[in-house]
Amino acid sequence: MPPSVSNYGPAPGLLELVDTPFYAQQQYQCGPAALMTVLTASGVTTTLDAVSRQVYLPARQGSLQSEMLAASRAAERVPYVLVPEFSSITGELATGRPVLVLLNLGVSWAPLWHYAVVVGADAVSEQIILRSGTEERRVMHTPVFLRTWRRSNFWAMSILRPGELPANPDRNRYIEAVAGLEQTGHPLAARDAWQAGLSQWPDDSVLLFGLANAQYALGNFSAAELGFLVILRNDEASLIARNNLAMTLVAQGRNREALEQIDTALNLAVDSPLLEELLDTQSSILSTDIDAWNQRGIGVE
Amino acid sequence: MHSIMLQNFVVRFVSLALLSLGLAQTSGAAMIGTQQVVQSEVRDGRLTRVETILAREDVVRQLVAFGVDPLAVQSRVGNMTDAELLALEGKLDQQIAGGGGALVVIGVVFVVLIVLEIVGVIDVFKRV
Repeated sequence: MPPSVSNYGPAPGLLELVDTPFYAQQQYQCGPAALMTVLTASGVTTTLDAVSRQVYLPARQGSLQSEMLAASRAAERVPYVLVPEFSSITGELATGRPVLVLLNLGVSWAPLWHYAVVVGADAVSEQIILRSGTEERRVMHTPVFLRTWRRSNFWAMSILRPGELPANPDRNRYIEAVAGLEQTGHPLAARDAWQAGLSQWPDDSVLLFGLANAQYALGNFSAAELGFLVILRNDEASLIARNNLAMTLVAQGRNREALEQIDTALNLAVDSPLLEELLDTQSSILSTDIDAWNQRGIGVE
Repeated sequence: MHSIMLQNFVVRFVSLALLSLGLAQTSGAAMIGTQQVVQSEVRDGRLTRVETILAREDVVRQLVAFGVDPLAVQSRVGNMTDAELLALEGKLDQQIAGGGGALVVIGVVFVVLIVLEIVGVIDVFKRV
């Protein structure tokens, strides 16, 4: 159930996600507490201890942004790093998602990094409402917030359920967020996220490629095959699609068709950095398939 | 007849053995990951941005004035590693953010000359 939004509060123009949970930070651990807040708001069941173990680096007394992204992926969520604009934050709030931000409460030469969660904004009274540190409802004057946020180069992320799109979707940022899911072994989440992406950017070859790869990882080989064929219909010269199509055919025991695809790709691959990968695919098919090997005329018969 | 079959078997056996030896040294067949595609997209975008800056008329004119072939510069940029390209883009961005007009052109050109000198392509400084 999405968190309820109160936009009729005491102040006009206020948008506040009042149901967002609060986890008070322990010692220096603002990173785990803030991440726990946005993960829980996104329906993830976990504990502060578990999140701390994933993102808190005792030696640094803090958490790195990359660890925050990785821990979100481990929870089968899409960590979307927002376009560095204030409207990105209000956009996410309007769709019911709180936003994790990195602030620098110190100064540039003596930084004091702090993670907090924006749960509300009031355009009229210029206030930002945060879950921050040990304060459940910290109110900051918007210009002060913007100053401290700017010192982190406006770093902010929201947690998307696989299948959700950001309020202000940016193609490259979205693709980067989802590609990490594939790499870390979450094909189910990746599949749903790629599908959502295709509803926003239909026919995008990278999204189609990601979706087909996810289908392959899930063992849905005929869906993967279809996906790679769609890419090749739009772009015959896509060597990556042809390589992966060949792998998908091999997974279905169709080695001869796979070799045909690799041959087609090799004819196009002169000077391509993918040449070696294609040759590897070819020799691995040949080495496992004595009939195909024989057909190439290497046998004596 | 019998010996041909045996010969055939031996040839296949030895060939496969050799092939699998070779395979052990390569990475082997694999699906190409989406991340790899994303990285090459990022590189292409970066390359386009750098090339657009270097193709500016005022930049080209200044390069020529220094005796540098702008085409050689473009080709060198295309051969840079991702890390080199990222560094070059960052330095160019600094120059462009740092000012306007002629100063930018001089800044950009010097960045190009210095970066390319470091990677050993032209020796304009030695010739001067």
